[in-house]
Amino acid sequence: MKASRWLAGMAALAWSGTAALAQDTYEIWHYYAAGSELAGMNALIEAGNAASPDTQFTGVIIPGNVVELRRQLQTAFLSGQPPALYQSSMAYELKTFVDGGRLHPLTDVWSRIKGDEIFPEGVQRVVKVDGVPYGVPFDLSLINNVFYNKAAFEKLGLQPPTDWDSFTAACTALREAGYQPLGNAGGPFWSLYNFYAALVSVVGEDGYYKIARGELGFDSPEFREALDLYRDRMVSCYAENWSGKTWTQTADDVINGDTAMFMMGIWVAAYFEQANFLAGEGFDMFQAPGTAGKSIFQMDVLAVPEGTEGSIAAAEQFIEAAASTEGQAAFAVPKGSLAPNVNVDPSVYGYAGSTFSRQFAEASQANAVLPNLFFLLPTSVGTELGVQIERFAIDPSDTVKEELVTTLEGLRQQALTDNAFIQW
Amino acid sequence: MAIQPTRRFSRTDWTHLGFLALPTLLFAVFYIYPVISSIRLSLHSWDGFAPTMRYVGFQNYLSLAQDTRFLGAVRNNVIWVAFMLVVPSGLGLLLAAILDRGIRGERAFRIIFFLPFTIPAVAVAAIWRWMYEPDNGLLTTVLDLVGLGGLAQNWLGDPGVVNYALMGAVAWWTTGFAFLVFFAGLRNVPVECIEAARIEGATPWQVFWKVSFPLLWPSTIIVLGMSAIDAMRLFDVVWATTRGGPAYSSDVLATLTYDLAFGRLEMGRATAVAVYLMAIAAVIIMPYIIYMSRRVQDSEAE
Repeated sequence: MKASRWLAGMAALAWSGTAALAQDTYEIWHYYAAGSELAGMNALIEAGNAASPDTQFTGVIIPGNVVELRRQLQTAFLSGQPPALYQSSMAYELKTFVDGGRLHPLTDVWSRIKGDEIFPEGVQRVVKVDGVPYGVPFDLSLINNVFYNKAAFEKLGLQPPTDWDSFTAACTALREAGYQPLGNAGGPFWSLYNFYAALVSVVGEDGYYKIARGELGFDSPEFREALDLYRDRMVSCYAENWSGKTWTQTADDVINGDTAMFMMGIWVAAYFEQANFLAGEGFDMFQAPGTAGKSIFQMDVLAVPEGTEGSIAAAEQFIEAAASTEGQAAFAVPKGSLAPNVNVDPSVYGYAGSTFSRQFAEASQANAVLPNLFFLLPTSVGTELGVQIERFAIDPSDTVKEELVTTLEGLRQQALTDNAFIQW
Repeated sequence: MAIQPTRRFSRTDWTHLGFLALPTLLFAVFYIYPVISSIRLSLHSWDGFAPTMRYVGFQNYLSLAQDTRFLGAVRNNVIWVAFMLVVPSGLGLLLAAILDRGIRGERAFRIIFFLPFTIPAVAVAAIWRWMYEPDNGLLTTVLDLVGLGGLAQNWLGDPGVVNYALMGAVAWWTTGFAFLVFFAGLRNVPVECIEAARIEGATPWQVFWKVSFPLLWPSTIIVLGMSAIDAMRLFDVVWATTRGGPAYSSDVLATLTYDLAFGRLEMGRATAVAVYLMAIAAVIIMPYIIYMSRRVQDSEAE
């Protein structure tokens, strides 16, 4: 009898402890599972928790990327148990969840953090749906930089290329000297990010947004010209066997001096530095031809699912801390990305980060900040664009080019019929 | 007119029914209901998050039937079935036959052969991503060292090579299962049968093919059945290694389903692929299961 009472007492205690824990602890779902990404996310959560000791957040890692996170979220939404906060991609990703009635509008917290003042205009437009903010940026990475091995350039007396001609000349010189001139990696993102340089060169910022809005066709002369430019100037410069490598394997090739250049998101700078291949010493960077003065960026935001009053209030409290200069720096510095908040002091970054920060500030001033087209397009069109560009990079024949144009234009027409494009 | 005695459920009958109720309920909830629900979903257009679905009839099935990516995935699945039935099963049988001859270090070899099968699929993918690194990977390096560098390929990046590379990884991973089942089967072959064949003057080759192998058919049923099922539901190693790329060249139906569902948020089309997969798997595997069931019945009758 005594034993059963004791057990009942313990159970009650455990239950009350769990209930108390459930009241104060919320989850933030993300897919930053290792290395500098996880370090950044942990630092952000720590900063958020320090700012509001009464509501504590714990990070829940969903291994993989945005695809795996969507799967987990879908199950959570169907069961009515979404997290209080999660890492979301920008633009069309947010719209899909908003259209499904899954996200809480962040109008109040946006005005408290002065979102219209602290984030550049190009950033703001991809976190708002019909003018209402649904995500708060915390992780911004430029994707139009070419990183190069300084020793290789110095050995051949090369200067960082400034236009397509000097880029091609550098490629030729590097190949003749036994280097693989330009690294790339397999997967639907990396060739696409490289292609943006050619695309922006031909269509400019206006044309870029026209494609995003579905106004400029994939069968247009401009898009075809961009494909030709990409084929002639970049694909011809790619390292052998690039399509069989991951981006980290290609980054290793740059560190080892086998490959001289690598156009990749700025997270590769953090990877280099972790390998003691230091910015300004081992490697340096320049903006890809056609994108000088512009910033093409990839960004993640914090999104708040519709939920209880308590979870929404806790999430908004966390967001206030995450959007502050301290919160933004807490994530960006260990991650090796840029803080989207323009008030973050550039001195928090090292050599690489301050270079990116300067590029982004200049692009913001010139209103030349371009979000990743992949996420501006309807999901099926953006995903197919990535796959088709990779296929074209592997086999840059006219046949593949025409198949690419036909496939993408068919999807564009379907998306137009479905009224799926957003007027960014 | 004779009156039929009323058949009453005895206590034993109720007990039997009670035991049957739970598995029946589980089967209905976790198999029948999801299948019916999937078929219903495949007739709709839905992004997975919207509160409502749009009924589209058989449009998802019709569009898939003309989709080159879908047809490519079907072709790949069929090739995988052929591969899984022949290579890992054949290699497993070969290794089991060699080890059954009582060579030195048998216990160590047993562990070595079976060990890869204990590794999770994602870890297998990570291992082989490095093995297949096209310039500095182990495979290319070894080929270079033995003077066969010309045979090195862009293993995972060439659409014409990637499926063979994946098959190599899967053969390494799954042969241990076939080996273990065949090895256990060989150890259960009655010694008298083998002795009798030897006394009759049969060669070792004849002993194996005429005596041991026919007596291995229960093991063969398990290995071939599991191999065919594994080939049809293949997902994890392909997804973790190539995600069906480059440019869909290593897609199988399960990776296509996953990509459509969560990469493109086309749940209706994704489910239609899953229903196709179920139908194709049934066409390929059901005749085998029926044939083997009959053999088991015949065997029991004997």
